Amino acid sequence: MIVFKTYLKIINKRKWPIILYTVLLIVFGSITISTSDDNINFVASKPDVLIVNNDDSALTRSLVNYLEENTNIIDTVKLDNVDDALFYREVNYVIYIPSDFETAFMNDDNPSITVKGSGDYYASFGEIILNRYLTVANTYLRLGYDKEDIISNTESVLSNKVDVSLINETDTTTLAKVTYYYNFTNYSILAGLIYAISIVMFSFNKKMICYRTEISSLNKTKYNSYLLLSNGAFALLLWFFYVLLSFIMLGSVMFSISGLLYMINSFFFVFFALTLALLLGKLKLDKNAVGGIINVIALGSSFLCGAFVPAAYLPDMVLKIAHVLPSYYFINNNELIKDIVTFDFGSLLPFVINILIMIGFSVIVILLTNGIGKKNVNTNE
Amino acid sequence: MNYVIEVEHLTKKYKSFKAIDDLSFKVKKGEILGLLGPNGSGKSTTINCLLALLNFKQGHIKIFGKEMKQDAYDIKQDIGVVFQDVAVFDELTVYENIDYFGGLYIKDKNLRKTYINEALDLVSLKDFAKFYPKQLSGGLIRRLNIACGIVHKPKLIFLDEPTVAVDPQSRNNILNGIRKLRDDGATIIYTTHYMEEAEMICDNIVILDKGNIIAEGSSDELKKLAKIEEKVIVEIMNFDDKYLKMIGKLKNVVDVTYASSILTVKYNKGQNNLVTFIEYLKENKIEYFKIYSERPTLNDVFLEITGKELRD
Ligand SMILES: Nc1ncnc2c1ncn2[C@@H]1O[C@H](COP(=O)(O)OP(=O)(O)O)[C@@H](O)[C@H]1O
Ligand SMILES: [Mg+2]
Repeated sequence: MIVFKTYLKIINKRKWPIILYTVLLIVFGSITISTSDDNINFVASKPDVLIVNNDDSALTRSLVNYLEENTNIIDTVKLDNVDDALFYREVNYVIYIPSDFETAFMNDDNPSITVKGSGDYYASFGEIILNRYLTVANTYLRLGYDKEDIISNTESVLSNKVDVSLINETDTTTLAKVTYYYNFTNYSILAGLIYAISIVMFSFNKKMICYRTEISSLNKTKYNSYLLLSNGAFALLLWFFYVLLSFIMLGSVMFSISGLLYMINSFFFVFFALTLALLLGKLKLDKNAVGGIINVIALGSSFLCGAFVPAAYLPDMVLKIAHVLPSYYFINNNELIKDIVTFDFGSLLPFVINILIMIGFSVIVILLTNGIGKKNVNTNE
Repeated sequence: MNYVIEVEHLTKKYKSFKAIDDLSFKVKKGEILGLLGPNGSGKSTTINCLLALLNFKQGHIKIFGKEMKQDAYDIKQDIGVVFQDVAVFDELTVYENIDYFGGLYIKDKNLRKTYINEALDLVSLKDFAKFYPKQLSGGLIRRLNIACGIVHKPKLIFLDEPTVAVDPQSRNNILNGIRKLRDDGATIIYTTHYMEEAEMICDNIVILDKGNIIAEGSSDELKKLAKIEEKVIVEIMNFDDKYLKMIGKLKNVVDVTYASSILTVKYNKGQNNLVTFIEYLKENKIEYFKIYSERPTLNDVFLEITGKELRD
């Protein structure tokens, strides 16, 4: 396996940037982990929720219905007393639904629901329940369903939780840290893979080296598959290493279904990053160009999609743009995992759809790569 | 007679430009065949066609008696190529580079090790085995390039201008190495635009110009085509052009030229020409620095056939 051996030798010679991306991940991860370390125990009882619904529509009625089923609806608190009520825990979570919510939602305008919370576990539980409804509804909206179907499908998906066998027993604070860690891997994975693969492929694809390989007695198809396998093996190794790192840094939380979901999600993202890196490798970029590309792609996508700063703090405009980037779906999934309470079909559907979208992006990139390959062959003679 | 290479009516066009035109030649086992021609005459194109790196519409190429194709891996196993442009990995040491290219042909690690050391010996790079290409001078890199091409002990070796831009020491090392490869039984195709090299090491020479073979044969056979037997060369400052005509009429002189302080007198027969000419210079009181006689070179052959110099 001289090809793989040489591949590793070249990576070894160029290892410093990859180590740097990893160190950044470790530093970022440890900062996140060291901030606030209090554990909150999982409580089974329902949160007390106050709903202020200013939009009398089918969608909001369905939402309110769902909330009524899953929370204790409080209607004794006066609206101008909300802050006191929250302070004295008379209510845990207040939801203000704006007028025209349904219209804005159907137009995919990301209408915001204002909320206030008591800042404790019950408040986050309330938020999780609200988010579950909105995420599922959003998923059907993205799939192009009309209003009636969105409502009925969302209701049926969410009512499926009859026998909830798996309940997430990990609190959201710990999971939030895992999410931060994996969000940051967006940068490290993209930068590391693009760097390594572009640099190695640049060497292997130099015209004279190609000539020399081509006149050798090594079968060309075999040679190409050795190279592809080497790249795949490197990507897998990097993924495995970053997962291992998450086990080391985050500990027991990774030994959970949520942990598994983070791993699956990052696996598919690594796969996408691999296809992208292979495409860039075809372009025969030199070292400087690679540096620029990494800044644009890895750093750019990390900012746009909320790998460094939670997506909630980003302007709507930015998030809209981010929708065209696979990183958005990777990071979105990390955020979803954090909020999943029950591992049923309804909760996992958006997760799976995001994965499918990432696979879709990968397929497009693979097709593009092959297109470029064909073109190269044609211009060669 | 068994030929290692048989080329018949090979024509290669880049778009509409004919880089080589209806080339036919054969290479005998164990010989060094020189492809001699000025830059752009089609040497590299010919080699790349022979190696099936380039497609061509017309012509046939047989190597070891079999048709050469892109997927003729059994033929390729016995071929070694040293390209005109250096092809090595910057990230690998001298040793690792040779190991990689040898590894494309030879799976057995121990055998490869022996071969790598022999290749290092051949190009005298043993002391540089741990160096990276960036740390090597131009001449040493070319030697590494050669070692990478021949490490698997091929029976047929192509060398495309391996001595261009190389210091004299490396050049001698390279030429000696090539002779040694031939003596060990390899057949060698050697392209160059240096006629001295072709004369020195090639058993047979094909002279190319603008994609056509203009002459072929051994060095001695080719020189007969030059139609001159001796050249007298004189270094003279301030030579008066009026003498040119007179000299041209001297016995056996076929051509006389004066350019950049060098007077060249060509004779079609060679006996006592040098002595006679020295006397002529004395009689006419022409002062000179240096005078010597030369046998015709391949450059004269080229000049005779094409009307232009081979050198650039
Ligand atoms: N890829 C190419 N496309 C177009 N023309 C080419 C190409 N390669 C070589 N040529 C032309 O073909 C001729 C022969 O080139 P080459 O075989 O490289 O000559 P040599 O090796 O004898 O210097 C030259 O005129 C050169 O400009
Ligand atoms: Mg050439």
